[in-house]
Amino acid sequence: MSTEINVAFAGNPNCGKTTLFNAYTGANLKVANWPGVTVEKKEGAMSYHNQKYKLIDLPGTYSLTSYTMEERLARQYILDDEVDVIIDIADASSLERNLYLTLQLIELGKPVVLALNMMDIVEERGMEIDLHRLPEMLGVPVVPVCARKRTGLNILMHAVAHHHDKAFDRFEHHHQSGEHEHSHHDEYAMVYSDEIEDKIDKISELLETKYPDIKNSRWHAIKILEADREICERYPLNLAGIADRSFEEEIISQRYDFIEEIVSEVLVNRDKKSHSTDKADRIITHPIWGGPIFLGIMALVFFLTFTVGDWLKGYFETALEWFSLAAVEFLTKVNAGGILTSLLVDGVIAGVGGVLTFLPNIFILFLALAVLEDSGYMSRVAYVMDGIMSKIGLSGRAFIPMLLGFGCTVPAVMASRALENNQDRLRTIMVTPFMSCSARLPVYVLLSQMFFAQNAMLAAYSMYVIGVVVAIVVAKLLSAFSKKHEVNTLLIELPEYKSPNLRNIRIYVWEKIRDYLTKAGTTIFVASIILWALLNFGTSGKVDDMSQSFAAGIGKLLVPAMTPAGLGYWQIIVALISGIAAKEVVVSSMSVLYGIGNIASDAGMSSLAAVLSASGFGAANAYSMMIFCLLYVPCVATIATIHRETRSGRWTLFAVAVQLAAAWIVSTAFFTVASIF
Amino acid sequence: MRLSEGKIGQEYFVKDISLDMPVKRRLEILGMTGNSRVVVLGSKKSGTKIIKVRGTRFALGAEFANGIEVEASDKKEEGGR
Repeated sequence: MSTEINVAFAGNPNCGKTTLFNAYTGANLKVANWPGVTVEKKEGAMSYHNQKYKLIDLPGTYSLTSYTMEERLARQYILDDEVDVIIDIADASSLERNLYLTLQLIELGKPVVLALNMMDIVEERGMEIDLHRLPEMLGVPVVPVCARKRTGLNILMHAVAHHHDKAFDRFEHHHQSGEHEHSHHDEYAMVYSDEIEDKIDKISELLETKYPDIKNSRWHAIKILEADREICERYPLNLAGIADRSFEEEIISQRYDFIEEIVSEVLVNRDKKSHSTDKADRIITHPIWGGPIFLGIMALVFFLTFTVGDWLKGYFETALEWFSLAAVEFLTKVNAGGILTSLLVDGVIAGVGGVLTFLPNIFILFLALAVLEDSGYMSRVAYVMDGIMSKIGLSGRAFIPMLLGFGCTVPAVMASRALENNQDRLRTIMVTPFMSCSARLPVYVLLSQMFFAQNAMLAAYSMYVIGVVVAIVVAKLLSAFSKKHEVNTLLIELPEYKSPNLRNIRIYVWEKIRDYLTKAGTTIFVASIILWALLNFGTSGKVDDMSQSFAAGIGKLLVPAMTPAGLGYWQIIVALISGIAAKEVVVSSMSVLYGIGNIASDAGMSSLAAVLSASGFGAANAYSMMIFCLLYVPCVATIATIHRETRSGRWTLFAVAVQLAAAWIVSTAFFTVASIF
Repeated sequence: MRLSEGKIGQEYFVKDISLDMPVKRRLEILGMTGNSRVVVLGSKKSGTKIIKVRGTRFALGAEFANGIEVEASDKKEEGGR
């Protein structure tokens, strides 16, 4: 054999599918999207006994209906003949629920190997599974594995190698209680009641007559009986007299009846011991203590990400400075010329390098999130925070990205991946940038120290409050405008707690870091060059005086628009534009534009304050500018991240528009009111 | 009674689900078929619950729990609060 065998990994969410997939492929995998949708598709390759295998990680699903995108993708992929063998991963400690998907996978008609994962938990609880009877009842090979401890992996591949071209065994059903024998069904594991089977037979016949090319007419007939929208639309039939309504409820119920029969035969000593997860949950999801415990954990994550991370970031910045000086020296030595040197040093190195200095924060943050996710805690957050968050139309899990937003918007937006519902994710991404990130603090510090003297702390602190209020208002507006009537849609599995798996965490963190690095190398690279060009070029070519640059021209153009907000000064507008590169840049741009060195010193501040006051820029203008800085587009890195996470130019533009609008409206409102007094 | 009124540690039988069809189906697929057993493991004032169905724990929003008609069984789960 020389051709590749395609193996699809299917299973419920939280069954250990990804752990098993990682165990085979390691970090050696391709992550892409399923065509046309934002569901991740992972592919890996391996060989076993000189045979090449392509492994495909299907989305984790509980079922194969057409209700969700993931389920449609999974079943279509299997039906489309690209799959040779399905490895169905089942959490053996939760066999009853996991077998539901197994039955449906078997019905698809492709060879299935059932991998019973988490056998260690089964043993720990004093349960036993009859590994002889289970394959007999299902008609597929069953291999016990433990993905975390990497045991049983070879045997599983062995089963795949030997089973990928095998036909089904015949069954001798002993759960027949019908009036007439369905002897022609003895090749199927799952046989429904006589009423349903008769209908399946009739619909199969109709299908085969009307659509002779159809493969697996039985599966399609079952789906049509379930009134599956996708299949019914693709294969319209006249079902009068056969199925005038959906039989889905009966079909689901009968599948579970069969599963109960299986479980009663193969599972010995079920649930002898009380689960340690239940004990832990009694504290972690406690109605009173759950909240404080979560806040404590988040405080720790916050501390690690921003205190330890910023300490490391300092070293990165020192290294960047050194690198940038060395680059200047080198470029001068090779006579690279002023423009090229400026482009490389002020544009590329400053822009891309500035983004790279966030790497320690991102690394630590995702390390912490990976541990929370892998241990099973993350799902509990949804439950614990559900009450508060649902009041503003967001899911409980949205709390994590919003909280992280106080540190840095980029990882916060990335953390929105923890949300399982796309609608929730988009909304969370829209409001997260209003959480005041640490880069905005220098702007508050500078302006509030100049204009609010002893109340500086209070002025800076009020920004955080305004940010939260705006986020709540925007979230409320978004849910008010959303088409569907949103009820509290919390329905999520709370998996067993487990000690985090190092391999999973390594792969998870590396994926995020790689994502971030790719972004720094592409979007931010281009954006840095554009901003550099705007600030350094004018109609007369390269300019040394920023007031002659294109950016200044744009600034002057925007003066009328910004005057209602008290920000009708071209220097301020240019500083704000440059702040799109990174919020801290607002401070350095102001120092350049007003020609003031060491702006952070007392002397620098007082001379800047004098210059500003002379032009009519007072405390109200300063506060308005702080509000504007809080709410407008955080930075290029954020825009790029929003684009990456939503994978939609429209949503990215919408986000930018909402941010600009919020900034303008709130600062104008403030300035108008302040001007009255 | 409704599942949202369920007590911690008590086992219930699912009698009827009166929710939107896709939600009802999702719950059935997760094992909440007619007469299946549900144990309440955790509860909030709002009616949001942690339940165990066929060996799996789920967090269930108050509106969902409110649409599920149940009947108490005489069994109390060991280890209930």
